Amino acid sequence: MIRRLVRTVRLYLAQAWLSYHGRFSITNPFGYITSKLGFPFFLMIFFIFMGKFVGFSDPLYIVIGNLLLIPANNGMAGISLAIGEERGWGTLSYVLGSPAPRAPVFIGRAIFYILDGFVTALLGFGIAAIIFRMNLGQVDFYLLTLCTFLLAITASGIGFLFGSISLITRDGWTILNTFIQALYILVGVNFPVDALPGALQKVAYCLPLTRGVMAARLVLDGAGWSAIASLIGGEALVGSLYIAAGYAFFLWIEKRSMQSGTLDAV
Amino acid sequence: MKCIRWGLVKQQMSVQLLVRTLNFFSLSLFILQPAVFSAVGMLLSHAAGNDVPDLVYSVIGGGIMGMWSGIVFTSTYDITGDRRNGMLELITGSPTSLASVEAIRTFTNVLCGFFAVLIAFSAAMFIFDYSLNGANLWGAGISLLILLFAMWCSGVFLANFLAWSRISGTFVEYLEMPVAIFCGFMFPIRVLPDWMQTISGIFPIRWALEAMNESLLGMRDVRYLAEHWLLAIGLCLLLLVATNWLQNKVQDKIRVNGELSSI
Amino acid sequence: MKSLHTDSSHVFLFFIKRKESAVKLRLSVLCVPISNTQILSTYDRLGHLDFVALGRRGEMENPAIQACSLNKVFKTKIGLWKIKSKSTTAVEDISFEVERGELFGLLGPNGAGKTTTVKMLTTLLLPTRGTAKILGLDVIEQTAEVRKHIGFAFSGSRGLYNRLTAIQNLNYFAELYALEPKVTKKRIPELLELVGLNGRGDDRVETYSSGMVQRLHLARALLHEPEVLFLDEPTVGIDPVGSRELRQTIKNLISLKKTILLTTHYMAEAEELCNRIAIVNHGKIVVMDTPASLKKRVSGDSVIEAEVQSAKAPILLDTLRGLDGRSMVKLDHSAEPEKLCIRTAEPEKVLELLSPFLNPDYILGMEVRHQTLEDVYITIIQGEKE
Ligand SMILES: Nc1ncnc2c1ncn2[C@@H]1O[C@H](COP(=O)(O)OP(=O)(O)OP(=O)(O)O)[C@@H](O)[C@H]1O
Ligand SMILES: [Mg+2]
Repeated sequence: MIRRLVRTVRLYLAQAWLSYHGRFSITNPFGYITSKLGFPFFLMIFFIFMGKFVGFSDPLYIVIGNLLLIPANNGMAGISLAIGEERGWGTLSYVLGSPAPRAPVFIGRAIFYILDGFVTALLGFGIAAIIFRMNLGQVDFYLLTLCTFLLAITASGIGFLFGSISLITRDGWTILNTFIQALYILVGVNFPVDALPGALQKVAYCLPLTRGVMAARLVLDGAGWSAIASLIGGEALVGSLYIAAGYAFFLWIEKRSMQSGTLDAV
Repeated sequence: MKCIRWGLVKQQMSVQLLVRTLNFFSLSLFILQPAVFSAVGMLLSHAAGNDVPDLVYSVIGGGIMGMWSGIVFTSTYDITGDRRNGMLELITGSPTSLASVEAIRTFTNVLCGFFAVLIAFSAAMFIFDYSLNGANLWGAGISLLILLFAMWCSGVFLANFLAWSRISGTFVEYLEMPVAIFCGFMFPIRVLPDWMQTISGIFPIRWALEAMNESLLGMRDVRYLAEHWLLAIGLCLLLLVATNWLQNKVQDKIRVNGELSSI
Repeated sequence: MKSLHTDSSHVFLFFIKRKESAVKLRLSVLCVPISNTQILSTYDRLGHLDFVALGRRGEMENPAIQACSLNKVFKTKIGLWKIKSKSTTAVEDISFEVERGELFGLLGPNGAGKTTTVKMLTTLLLPTRGTAKILGLDVIEQTAEVRKHIGFAFSGSRGLYNRLTAIQNLNYFAELYALEPKVTKKRIPELLELVGLNGRGDDRVETYSSGMVQRLHLARALLHEPEVLFLDEPTVGIDPVGSRELRQTIKNLISLKKTILLTTHYMAEAEELCNRIAIVNHGKIVVMDTPASLKKRVSGDSVIEAEVQSAKAPILLDTLRGLDGRSMVKLDHSAEPEKLCIRTAEPEKVLELLSPFLNPDYILGMEVRHQTLEDVYITIIQGEKE
């Protein structure tokens, strides 16, 4: 029993490290940092200027929203990238063809991305606090950590859902990317969900992240546990629904992909 | 670039379309992504309490954004993809120079980008009732042509830069947004702080785009427009000179370290 | 001033002189008959001379491929944080000439430097030192001209657009080689026929098997009717019937006066096709000759392989002492049962010596055959190791 547990844990970690290392080994430290913070940072700046132009007076609102999306992005992209890149390098069929159980293989790959996104977001808050003179004095740090971590985990459900698509089509990563972009509109990153038209508001509340982002904003405003408990609960619930659906979908698609033989088409 | 023949152009363009452009990835870059940016722009404007969004910057600007992302990413995937599947080596080994192949490919990408702008235009006109009344049409037209030229020059430069080494690929992807910011794709340059406005002066795209946006908003000052056009063209020529220099370097470098075929 | 090998009677001098103006890698080579040595001292006085190499030149008047002490050192950087430089010498002083209409084979173990040599000759890599000429054109200086006259195909499934059909791929390359559309239209079906892909031209390459991709590579290389052809392991992954057809195709090309440089790991193929062979190891040419004289070079022309009882091997080895000095006897311990391998010019004598032992107590089985190129290759490469 213990032996099996150790073996599984080892497999998780080994997969996670391999995937992570495989992804970043070509780049140098400079590439590493820019790839972590570069794109989200510049996108954020772009949105801030857009906001400034139309008279949206609160740049911090945009900053916080974009920072909160980093762990979520990593949670989503981690799994999808792990699968998509395997396909790109032609090693997907080796991975799936090996006797290793699939769940550790891919969940393991996601772990580092999730941790990484989490750390990056905290780092981002630190940097933002300096650049934008954000006041973090009254913030309950543990609650903020909790929210950020929760965002990464609930987002990984979406990652599984779209990552599975990567098993049958080479466009999985793109489809996910397009979806991630839609999140910039839907989950209250750049402007409050209330600003959306009615129908879209309903959609927003069916997605993970929406409530989590709201909760995190409240925490940053100095709210305590009681104020955010219901939001956190809702986020966890929606998130776990997505994770369950995503994993089931992954298993189903994996069977399908064996039949259609599309594992290595690039 | 002296050996560009019509047959080569036709062939390269059709293959470029088939292999790189007509797939979900590129279409989402050229069309879906601009739509998202436009939506963010308009909703931000709504959240800020404006009744009418600024269609020139929000919607047409989104189209420009799509054109730029399309060019950056297609160029990146052109080279890295070709490197990965061994094509870069075969192209280099043929009598046609890599630079002319890249020039034609970028031209194709710019055309696709132009298509994205057209879609944004139609969206602005037919969905959001944008009207061209009061716009300086000929000014906008000439500016658009110069803008396309500027995009092409930047794209060719990027493509050569990418052939330079594998690492540059990671770098270029992060160039996309900064250029969008400095060139004022979805907001006027005057929103930027002074020091950023100064930097933005080195981008030919900025001058052409500013002339186009101002024309659409009714600018008729010939001197203002002419100044912008000349600046844009001058900077483009500089960029081409730099590209030419870079291209010779690239030719030597990729043959020394065997990076033509390594992934 | 450094001088290199001097192993032949037909000695010519190679003057290698650094050109002041050019990039420092670029060297130019002069070949001068040895009788003209006063030129050497003239150049030396002027300080132009970088080093002198004595090289062999046969009677070739006008070689198609001419490699003069090619060297390639790869510098790679490894490590993420602590970046270390590491250099690999892939090719070291390779010189050879291939006559027009000749089929020249490069053999050697993995990593010997064959592909690197081919890439330098096809203008895809710059030599670190040395030069090469294709049809008299310098691969470093006259790159564009060289590229018009050569065709090359590397093994592997890379180098084609998978989402396009074979014909679209060929069309694409036809334009890169600036062929007239009319010519292209006629040539593509011919080529598909030649490599045995007729009927599959309109299928996407991603639906091809690896052997079919290999054939398509050959068709692509032949598209512009190059005079010199470089084929790097062209028969990898092709089925036996297919590779026989392919070999026939290659022979036909030779009869059309094309020059071919071929690398392969199949000795039988090299033996059947090549006029001359160079065996490369660790970046150097170990031997270079025709297949026939290569076989003569290694002792004997018959091979006798006997499976023996391990305990009795010493007795048999003792018995075989009686052979003349040119025979070679070797006991292979790794085989099961142990194998006695004898190369000899006098197989009858061996049989006579062994005849008393031809029973299962000593010898379990025996095979007598002519020496193949493979035997020669293995002897040479193993000899290198020791
Ligand atoms: N781009 C490169 N960078 C660094 N080292 C390289 C590069 N290409 C080849 N090498 C090294 O050069 C040496 C020769 O490689 P090469 O590909 O020429 O061998 P080969 O004879 O073709 O082998 P094979 O039979 O396996 O095809 C090897 O040690 C290889 O590791
Ligand atoms: Mg090789």
